[in-house]
Amino acid sequence: MSERNVRRLLDAIPADPDAEERAWAVVQAAHAAREPVPRRPRNRAALVLAAAVVAIAAAALSPPGRAVVHAVRKSIGIAGAQPGLFRLPAPGRVLLSGPGGAWVVGADGSARRLGAFREAAWSPHALYVVASSPTMLAAVAPNGTVHWKLDRRDIRFARWGGSRADTRIAYLTSGRLHVVAGDGTGDAEVNAQPAAALVAPAWRPPTRPGHVLAYITTGGRVAVLDTDRRAIAWISHGYAEPRSLAWSPDGTTLALAAARTIVLFDAANGRARTVPIAGVRALAFSASGRLALLRTHSVLLMDGTRPRTFFSTRAALAGLAWSPDGHWLLTGLPAADQWVFLQRGSGRRVLAVSHLRAQFGGLPTLDGWVPGT
Amino acid sequence: MRDAQRGSAAAFEQLFRRHWPRAYRAALLVVGDAAAAEDIAQESFLAAVRALDRFDRRRPFGPWLHRIVVNRAIDWSRARTLRRELAADHAPEPEAREQHAPEHADALAAGLAELAPEHRAVIVLRYLLDYTPGEIAELLDVPRGTVNSRLRRGLDRLETSLREELA
Repeated sequence: MSERNVRRLLDAIPADPDAEERAWAVVQAAHAAREPVPRRPRNRAALVLAAAVVAIAAAALSPPGRAVVHAVRKSIGIAGAQPGLFRLPAPGRVLLSGPGGAWVVGADGSARRLGAFREAAWSPHALYVVASSPTMLAAVAPNGTVHWKLDRRDIRFARWGGSRADTRIAYLTSGRLHVVAGDGTGDAEVNAQPAAALVAPAWRPPTRPGHVLAYITTGGRVAVLDTDRRAIAWISHGYAEPRSLAWSPDGTTLALAAARTIVLFDAANGRARTVPIAGVRALAFSASGRLALLRTHSVLLMDGTRPRTFFSTRAALAGLAWSPDGHWLLTGLPAADQWVFLQRGSGRRVLAVSHLRAQFGGLPTLDGWVPGT
Repeated sequence: MRDAQRGSAAAFEQLFRRHWPRAYRAALLVVGDAAAAEDIAQESFLAAVRALDRFDRRRPFGPWLHRIVVNRAIDWSRARTLRRELAADHAPEPEAREQHAPEHADALAAGLAELAPEHRAVIVLRYLLDYTPGEIAELLDVPRGTVNSRLRRGLDRLETSLREELA
């Protein structure tokens, strides 16, 4: 066979013409997110000397910790970040919590502190927030009004679910699962059920009647519990290092992130489809049902059962939320004290905001992005 | 390259557009799976983005990228072979095909699929990307004699495959 023939045929084997555009969208975002190499100065020696003088002066005048944080941000953060969360790129409200308390931030950047809560989550229709400190669980309106509170020890992962007319809140205390009505009454430990692992439980969306809760047992099994009847609908086998649970918006699929896989359960019977992908730490469904995955250095989107990289960076990412319109994903770069907004679709912009610690009194955790003003 | 390193989106797009077609096709010919090839080429460009600051502009970008692409494609193919041994019912996904593949291209693809990934890589580097045997030896970190023998055996295998197709 002639070499010329081989060349001709290698060039002729069909390839997917759309692959280039899909890859470009991802690669472009990664390039936009990196810190560019600065232009080399013309009078380098003089400028190096001047920079050294400024650096020494800065080191002498500023707290060392701040200088280190700034240096880290410069090396791993997103270039061109806004110096604060002044507005959201899409409509809605973002809930965040952390050492500086729980906050609601509007699309116009207006921020309201709800109180000294370390964790928070939206109610199913985003009318209220369930917030917790280690010793208290509270239902709070977005304007900060506390409607009720319960004193409990070691509260974690409070989640609010149900219909407009009848809601429930699930939470964990020292590995035990509790359920309380949305008005704060009837608080009870779900005694008969296996103890829960330290992973946030998830309520099935109110597409059907009833209050159905998914949680993870201490043995790494996924349990789906009908809390009205106190009966387990189904329970899976155990998974290594389960980390996150999320329901699809239509309530037909429950997704689990574990150490080496994500698992998509048929909500009706618990039948599992396993997608081998390691290191997924968080999951989030968009309002239209698109599943996003968070790994240490990347955000991926599921394309059917195939995960595709959507954004990657050198620093570790934390937190994942869709905008209500599904056009943006929000994640965080804790080491750079930044949040990063990633646009889907043709625009593919990457927007970053920084100095969150200063703005919110400590590095906040992202607790959700919901519709409304 | 310099402008791409300084953050110019236009310069980086030019770099991507120039190198994507060959990088993707090289991965496709080594792994024989369109989706995997897309992932491999995409991940190679992401690796390039991460290493952009450290890239020495005096050296050409193409060979550097091709080394990443082809080595990742070989690794993927080897892993796939191992997985198939463990789960024989999970056959490789069929490659996405256009309706009108040129004559004999399918036969060549079938012939390539019968070669070991290392042999496919050598054929691709030589006849798709036009590297010399010496350059291929350097890219794959193997002796030049090994490259020559793989080329010879690969071509023989492809010729047999095409003959069978024509018969």
